[in-house]
Amino acid sequence: MSQIQERGSTHVYKVNRISKEEMDSMVERCVYEQPPFCSAACPLKLDTRAMLKAAAEGDFKKALLLYEKIAPFPLILSQGCEAPCEKACRLCEVGDGVAVRAIEAAVARFGERSKLGGVFRTKKRKTTAIFGSGLFALFLAGELEKKAYPVTVFCEEPDLESFLHCETAFLDEEAFELEARRLQGKDIQFVFGCELSPDFFAEQRAAFDVVCASEAVAKRVYLDAVCIPELMFCEERQLVMGFGEGVMAAAFGAKKAALTVDRLAQKLDPRNTRGSEGAVESRLYTDLSEAETLSRVPLPAAGYTREQAAEEAKRCIQCHCEECLKSCAYLKHYKKHPGLLAKEIYNNTQIIMGDHQLNKPMNACSLCGQCTVVCPNGFDMARVCSGARRNMVSTDKMPLAPHEFALLDMLFSNEEAFLCRPQPGYERCKYVFFPGCQAAAIAPATVRAAYEDLCARLDGGVALMLGCCGAICDWAGRYEMYDKTKDFIDRELAKLGDPIVIAGCPTCKKELSEHESVQLTGIWDVLLELGLPEGAKKLERPVALHDSCGARGDEQVQGAVRTLCGELGCELVDTPYSGDRSPCCGYGGLTAYANREVAQEMTEKCLERSGEAYVSYCMACRDRFARQGRESHHVLELVYGTDAGAPPDISEKRYSRLTLKNDLLREIWQEETAEMKLDYELTYTDEARRMMDERMILTADVIAVLDGFRETGEAILDSDTGLLIARRRVGNATFWVAFTRGGDDGYVVHRAYSHRMQVVKREG
Amino acid sequence: MAAEKNYYTIDPQGKLQCVKCGVPLIKGKAKFMYLDNGFPVELPVCPQCGFVYVPEELALGKVLSVERALEDK
Ligand code: SF4
Ligand code: SF4
Ligand code: SF4
Ligand SMILES: [Zn+2]
Repeated sequence: MSQIQERGSTHVYKVNRISKEEMDSMVERCVYEQPPFCSAACPLKLDTRAMLKAAAEGDFKKALLLYEKIAPFPLILSQGCEAPCEKACRLCEVGDGVAVRAIEAAVARFGERSKLGGVFRTKKRKTTAIFGSGLFALFLAGELEKKAYPVTVFCEEPDLESFLHCETAFLDEEAFELEARRLQGKDIQFVFGCELSPDFFAEQRAAFDVVCASEAVAKRVYLDAVCIPELMFCEERQLVMGFGEGVMAAAFGAKKAALTVDRLAQKLDPRNTRGSEGAVESRLYTDLSEAETLSRVPLPAAGYTREQAAEEAKRCIQCHCEECLKSCAYLKHYKKHPGLLAKEIYNNTQIIMGDHQLNKPMNACSLCGQCTVVCPNGFDMARVCSGARRNMVSTDKMPLAPHEFALLDMLFSNEEAFLCRPQPGYERCKYVFFPGCQAAAIAPATVRAAYEDLCARLDGGVALMLGCCGAICDWAGRYEMYDKTKDFIDRELAKLGDPIVIAGCPTCKKELSEHESVQLTGIWDVLLELGLPEGAKKLERPVALHDSCGARGDEQVQGAVRTLCGELGCELVDTPYSGDRSPCCGYGGLTAYANREVAQEMTEKCLERSGEAYVSYCMACRDRFARQGRESHHVLELVYGTDAGAPPDISEKRYSRLTLKNDLLREIWQEETAEMKLDYELTYTDEARRMMDERMILTADVIAVLDGFRETGEAILDSDTGLLIARRRVGNATFWVAFTRGGDDGYVVHRAYSHRMQVVKREG
Repeated sequence: MAAEKNYYTIDPQGKLQCVKCGVPLIKGKAKFMYLDNGFPVELPVCPQCGFVYVPEELALGKVLSVERALEDK
């Protein structure tokens, strides 16, 4: 029996199968973290989406908190802002954009201010001064106070009200009152009634670490003052200054100026480490297909009420790119967008010592490629996960446990159950039928019927090859094993005279297309040419056609199967997740072995599409849908009028492959085959069968244990249950079987379990 | 000498018998080994032939979780 070497824990070397640069460029593609269009257009970078969400939920306190992050004087900004965000709102494309500014105004008016509850803020030691008045000076004072700088404002106005009045004529009376109170509450020193002359300025500035001035004052005290707008700074005069007109220019200017002050106070170049400032382009993708073309809640002259604002905020569709999460059960399971998940998975491959926490997610992706099709940017998670798996294998860090069963199953397909023969009477054949390992395991009678039909109706000889195409080790990231399998198949094909391969499974077809010089077609194409055979089962009712992930991107296969189904009289139910957008049944990528929970969710996702019977053209899909209790047919079962019946368990899947091989060898090729018979009787309780399927224990494993018991007599007797319990190490696992004796020379198996750890007696 | 640390202990309490040797299993010293790691445990062991018994609950419980943790190291 074949074995696979378990990894050690000492042998570590680094081979990167995906470079950091490649990974970064892949991660970049995911636009999930791009700002929504409104925020991107807002020079102050308001988290508009979050604010609108809070407002829509009626949580004005939270909305205000978010708004105040960019607006020290929220009423002034919201009543005066030119609102570039509104034009950027995606809803503009189907109707009215969200009335962001009017909602902000309501938030500013009705939002309860959160008290800083006695939090003592230590003031910074560097002092700042602002000369002048107007919006820039006001906003800058607010920003600097927020940054905890001691601020002194020197203005010509005689009092606070007149200072606030400057450039805020658009405010209504109530708003003015509120902002006046807000200003009073801030820790800002005022020196009113100053004559802001060059002399006065020169006299005062020396007392402060950083000085700022409104544009008017700056130009008055230094005739030659030139502002660098990105910094709001006159370098010559070392003066932070205002520039530009309008409310937004003042607010954005104050924000940039505050950062410049910060840098100057730390004696740093104000040009350095500023991060991204101002409006940006967003690459976010928003699906507008379900957006309603509603118009705005009418805006009364006095502004929205609380309720109206909440109503209008509800129109925000909360732009998020979730195309892939909507369609892929795996991504949904881990609740992470691919950009982030890919980064974490990549990092996982770089860990030498310590926990590889992302092993499970990395092995749960079915490598089906659906995300690449549904993602507006073609994000390729399959490539990330399969690259990561190969990386883990190459550094000897890949655990064998999640994939060992599948890998051994593949070895079984290509060793014990492997068959390759030319059609009797031919030495070299024009064709070879390659049904795929799952077809032989799940629907052996269908495979046989198809082979006999092809032999009868095609000229030039049709050989048969029963085996695995190598998808299993490819999915597992075992690239060395994959290369070996590929060579093996090539050698076998050469023996047959390099015939045209008629694939019975789209995944085999895809895998075999990686072989140079292999000519390929699909059985669906051949059947379209030949016409349906006699005995085809017409299914004249609506059925949901499930496209195999192996056929993604292969229009020809998808189309041929559709035509074939049409000829079978099926009325196909197509849904948005048909064809190239089809999800994986959970078998792909070995998800079914590595993460049953996710695989189950994938199957459910596939079955969500329709309540009708499912027709598929991959045996694994057929099997998983039937297992889920859905009426499920492989298209070849319909073509040949066969019925594979209830889904087989893991041991039956092996038994079917072996029996098919032996039956065909005897009956078609007249070859002797070894008897598969035990020299004792073995039966299983239903519970034992269920347990074995669940725990991936084969009858072959149980037989190995009992054979061992018969040889050595080693077992224990549990007097509580009366069960005999024997064990045997097979490959990398120890299997335990609890049984009773039954009949003359026989056993009844009651329980079975296994573990991978080795257990030995310890001396002393 | 410091008390030896055992990661797991089960006492067969006379309920288990070695079929081959016809004697009851006793609490004995054993070791689990996986991926180059070893853990001392105390399990039901045959005093004569040294058969070490790993009960189902242990195999599917503690042993499995330790296996998983080591696999992802
Ligand atoms: S569809 Fe998914 S992977 Fe693509 S950009 Fe959107 S969130 Fe990212
Ligand atoms: S609808 Fe909402 S999320 Fe979309 S752009 Fe407008 S404010 Fe932003
Ligand atoms: S399971 Fe398929 S759709 Fe989901 S991330 Fe993996 S390759 Fe993409
Ligand atoms: Zn013994």
